[in-house]
Amino acid sequence: MSETGFIPAERKPPALSVSLGRSPKIGQDRTLLGVVIFIASESIFFLAIVLAYVAYRDSGLATARANLDVGRTAIFSIALFASSGTMALATRARSGAWLAATMLLGAIFLLGQGSEYARLLGEGIGPGSALFGTTFFTLTGLHGIHVLAGLVALAALFTANLGRARAVREVAWEAVGFYWHFVDAVWVVVFSVVYLGTLL
Amino acid sequence: MRPPADAIGTLSLIVGVIAFLIFVGVEAALVYAIWRYRASRLAGEPARFESNRRLEIAWTAAPALILAVIFVLTLGAMAEINGAGVAPAMRIAATGHQWWWEFSYGGTKTANELHIPVATPIDLDLTSVDVIHSFWVPELGPKMDMLPGTTNHLRLLARRAGSYDGQCAEFCGVEHAWMRIRVIVQSQAEFDTWLGAQRLPAAVKGVDGERVFLTNICVNCHTIAGTAASGTAGPDLTHVASRGTIGAGVLPNDVARMRAWLADPQRYKPGSLMPRVPLSDADLDALAAYLGALK
Amino acid sequence: MTAIPLWVRRPAGERVGWLRTVDHKEIGVLYIGMGVAFFAIGGLEALLLRAQLATPEATLVDPETFNQAFTVHGVTMILLAVVPLLVGFANYMVPLMIGARDVAFPRLNALSFWLSLVGGIVLYFSFLAGGAPDTGWFSYAPLSERAFAPGTGVDYYILGLAVNGAGTIIGAINLTVTILLMRCPGMAISRVPLFVWMTLVTSVLILGAYPALTAALVMLFVDRQLGGHFFDPAGGGQAVLWQHLFWFFGHPEVYIMVLPAMGMISEVIPVFSRKPIFGYGFVAGSSVAIAFLSFGVWAHHMFAVGLGDTENAIFSATSMLIAIPTGVKIFNWIATMIGGRLRMTTAMLFAVGFIAMFVIGGLSGVALAVVPIDLAVTDSYFVVAHLHYVLFGGTMLGIFAGAYYWFPKMTGRLLSEGLGRWHFWLTFAGFNLTFLPQHWLGAVGMPRRVFTYAASTGWGPLNLISTIGATILAVAMVVFFVNLARSLRSGEIAGDDPWDAFTLEWSTTSPPPPENFTRIPAVTGRRPLWDRKHPESRDKK
Repeated sequence: MSETGFIPAERKPPALSVSLGRSPKIGQDRTLLGVVIFIASESIFFLAIVLAYVAYRDSGLATARANLDVGRTAIFSIALFASSGTMALATRARSGAWLAATMLLGAIFLLGQGSEYARLLGEGIGPGSALFGTTFFTLTGLHGIHVLAGLVALAALFTANLGRARAVREVAWEAVGFYWHFVDAVWVVVFSVVYLGTLL
Repeated sequence: MRPPADAIGTLSLIVGVIAFLIFVGVEAALVYAIWRYRASRLAGEPARFESNRRLEIAWTAAPALILAVIFVLTLGAMAEINGAGVAPAMRIAATGHQWWWEFSYGGTKTANELHIPVATPIDLDLTSVDVIHSFWVPELGPKMDMLPGTTNHLRLLARRAGSYDGQCAEFCGVEHAWMRIRVIVQSQAEFDTWLGAQRLPAAVKGVDGERVFLTNICVNCHTIAGTAASGTAGPDLTHVASRGTIGAGVLPNDVARMRAWLADPQRYKPGSLMPRVPLSDADLDALAAYLGALK
Repeated sequence: MTAIPLWVRRPAGERVGWLRTVDHKEIGVLYIGMGVAFFAIGGLEALLLRAQLATPEATLVDPETFNQAFTVHGVTMILLAVVPLLVGFANYMVPLMIGARDVAFPRLNALSFWLSLVGGIVLYFSFLAGGAPDTGWFSYAPLSERAFAPGTGVDYYILGLAVNGAGTIIGAINLTVTILLMRCPGMAISRVPLFVWMTLVTSVLILGAYPALTAALVMLFVDRQLGGHFFDPAGGGQAVLWQHLFWFFGHPEVYIMVLPAMGMISEVIPVFSRKPIFGYGFVAGSSVAIAFLSFGVWAHHMFAVGLGDTENAIFSATSMLIAIPTGVKIFNWIATMIGGRLRMTTAMLFAVGFIAMFVIGGLSGVALAVVPIDLAVTDSYFVVAHLHYVLFGGTMLGIFAGAYYWFPKMTGRLLSEGLGRWHFWLTFAGFNLTFLPQHWLGAVGMPRRVFTYAASTGWGPLNLISTIGATILAVAMVVFFVNLARSLRSGEIAGDDPWDAFTLEWSTTSPPPPENFTRIPAVTGRRPLWDRKHPESRDKK
C-alpha cells in the first residue's frame, strides 16, 4: 500500500533553533543535540557527587586544609582551563595542531592529578582512610576518568583528521568540543568546591 | 492529648471516605460510559467533541480543593502525633539490633518487651547499632525508623492496659521477620513494681547453671547483673524469665523451650547472631533451669 | 510456516541477524523479548514468595532464599521487565508514529539494548557467583555495606544496574533526539500522538533520574570495594544520603514506568471510542506537570526516617499536588469514551482495566502522601498493594492493551480475541484477589519483606487468598503466552489497518518494511489517517 492521500512533503520539519554562529545548529543537528542532552544528563550525575562532597565537607575540612596543595593544583587547573581555549581554536580552524595542544594540556592536567594522588596516598590519605578521602577521591577520580575519556575522543578525532580530513564532519569537531568544554566546566566547580573551599 | 493512634484513625477514616467516594464516582462513570456508549447503540459516526475548557478547569480545581482540605488535616494530625506540645512523663531509649530490641529505662535494660504505664505520654529515643530498623506497633500508632548514628523520637500513649504486638518494619537482614516487639501497657502501680524488680540484680546465685553461663562464651555477649557477665552484643538476661518469648518472638519462653533454643538457636532462628554453643546435656539442663529462674 | 514475515517486511532474500540488526523495529522486538522473558522470570520469583507466605511459619524456603527472591523480583520487574517492554514499544512505534524512517542513532540504539540486556545478565550471574543480592530492590545502606552484606550479591547489583542504566540513558537520548528532530512534515509537537508525547516526557525523566542512581551506585561501590565511608555511620557517613539519592531516582522511575503505559491507552481509547482524545493539550500538559513534580516528591518515601516535620510537610504537599494532573488524565480518558461508539476489544478492555485499577493505586497513593497515614502503613503490605495497583493494575494492563493493539502491526497477525478475553478476566480476577487483601494486611501490621509471620498474628487467611490470586494471575499469563505463540503461527491475517485507526503507523504495511514508508508522509492534523480516510471531515488541529 502506498501513502497516497497524504499531502506531499513540501514543508521542512519543525525544528528547534539554537544558533552557534556559523556552526551547525544544536536544534537541527542530531549529533549535537544528542551530545548536549548527554552532557545535561552527566551534569546531574556530577551534581549528585558534588552534593555528597558538600554534605560531608565539614567533617573533612581540617584534613583538606592540611593536605591539599591549592597553589600547585591551581597551576595544573590553568592547563585544563587553557585547553578549552585551544579546543575552541581547533574547532574554528579544524586544526590538528591546536587539537594536539589541547591533548597535551589535558595530559598535563592528568599528570598533575596523578602526582597529587601519589602525594596524598603517600601521606596515608586514601579513599578508605576517612570521609574526606572517600569524597575527595570519588569526586576528583570521576572527573579524571571523564578527562581521560575526553582525551580518547580527542585522539580519535585527531587520528581521523590526519587520515581523511575532509571526511570528518563539522559536527564531529563541535561534538568533541562540547564534551571537552563540559569536562573543563565540571573542573571549575570541583576546583572551587574542593580546593578554593579550603580557603574559606 | 489523644493517643497518636486515635489521631491517625480519625484522619484515615476521613481520607478513606473521600477516597472511596472518588473511587465509586470514577468506576461508576466508567461503567456508565461502557454501557451507554456501546457500539450496538449507535449506528453512525459519533459526535466529534474534543475539549471543554470549563470542564478541564473544574476537574483540575475540584481535586485541588479536596487535597487542600486533606493537607490542612494532615498538618493538624502531624502536630498531634508528635505530642502536641505535651512533655513526656518518661523517656525510654530503644535500640535496634539484628534481630532484637533493647529498651533502657535510665540504664536498666530489658529486651523485646517494652513495659509502659497506661495513659501516660512516653517518648522513645530510637537508634540502632547496626543497620536501619523501624519500630512499629500498629495499635499504638505511627512507626519510626531507627538509624545508626542518629536518634529519632516517637511519642507513645496507650489508652488501655493490655499487650500490643508489633515488629520491625524496615528490612534489616536475614531474620527481619523474627524481630517482634511486645508492648505491655500496665497501670502505673504495676509498672512501678515491674521496673523496681528489673532494677534488682539476678534473683538466683551460686547455682550450677550460673557456672555454665559464666564459664562459656555466653558472657561475651550477654549481661546478667550481679555476676561477672557484662557483654552487650546480645540481650540483657538479668530478668530473662520475666519475658514472654525467646529470640524476639520465635518461641514462647519456658524452661523446656529455653533448653531447646540453647541447644541450637540456628534451628529456630537461622542466621541469628547467637551461635550454637556445644554443651553437654547436663550443662544444658542446668543452664535452662538457671535462666528460667531469672524472674 | 508463516505466510507473512514477522516483525519487518524485508525484501526477498535479505536477512539481518538479531545480533547485528540496527533497525528500530527489530531492536524494539528485542527489547520486548527481553521484557517478556524477565517478566516470566520475575513472575516465577513472585510465585515462590507467595507460596512461602501462603501459610504462617512456613518453611518452604529458607530466609536467605526468600530475601534474594524478593530483591531480584523487584529489580527484575522494574528494570528488566517493565522498562524494556515500554522502551521496546517506544522503539518500534515512535518512528512510525512520527513518520520517520528510523531513530536518530540506529547503531547507538543497538548499543542501548545490548547494554540493558547485559546489565540484566550480570545481575542474574550473581546466582552462580555465590548468591543474589538480598538487600531489597532499594538496597538501603548500611545493610548493603560490606559489613552487613559480605557476599558478592550487592556487587553484582551495583554492576548490573549501572550497565543497565547506561543502556537506558543512551536509549532516552536517542528517543529524545528522534522525537525533537525527526518528525515528518506537518507533524508539529502539538500534533504528535500522545504515546509519543509520553515517551518524550519519560525520556527526559530518565535523563534526569538515572544519573542519580548511577552516582549512588558509584558511592556504594567505593564504600564496598575501596573501603569508603559514604553510607557508613561509624566512619562519619550517613545512611540517609543513600535514600535521598536512591529516591531522587526511584520516584521519577515510577512515572517512567507509568507515563508510557498512559500513552498506550491514550492511543487505544480514542480508536475504540471512534473519537479524538478529549483534552489532548491537558493530557499532554499534565504529563509535563507530573514530570516536573516527580523530581520534588522523593522524600515521601522517607517520612519515617525522621527528617523533621517541615520537610515532611513540604514533601507531603508536593506529593498531593501530583495527584491533580494524574486525575486530569483519568477524567479526560473517560470524557473520550463519553459520546463515543465503543468497541470493547481486548485492547480496549485492558485500557479500561487500567483506568479502573490505576484509580485505586492513585487513591492509596494520596493516602500515603498524608504523613500520619504513611507513618502507620509505610513499609507494610499496604505499600506492596499500592505499588502493585500502580505498576500491575496500571502499567502492566496498559502494556497488555498496547500489546493487543500493536501486535497486528508488528507481526501482520491478530491476537486471538477469544483467548484475549480469558486473559483479561483471569488477570482482572487474579490481580484483585492477590493485591486487594494486602491493603488490609498492611493496615493491621504485616510488614513487607518478611519471609514468614507468626501464626498468632492471624494474617494467615488473607495471605492464603492472596496466594490463590497469584496462582490465578499465573494462569492468566499462561493464557497470554499461549495466545502469543498461537497467533504468531496461525493468527488471523491483520492487514495494514485492522482497527480503523488514526495514526501513521497504520498507514504502512503490517509489518512495515525496513524503511517504514515508501514515501515520507506529511500531515495536517493529529489524526493523519482519519484525515486521509475522511477528507470531507478533516480534523482542524
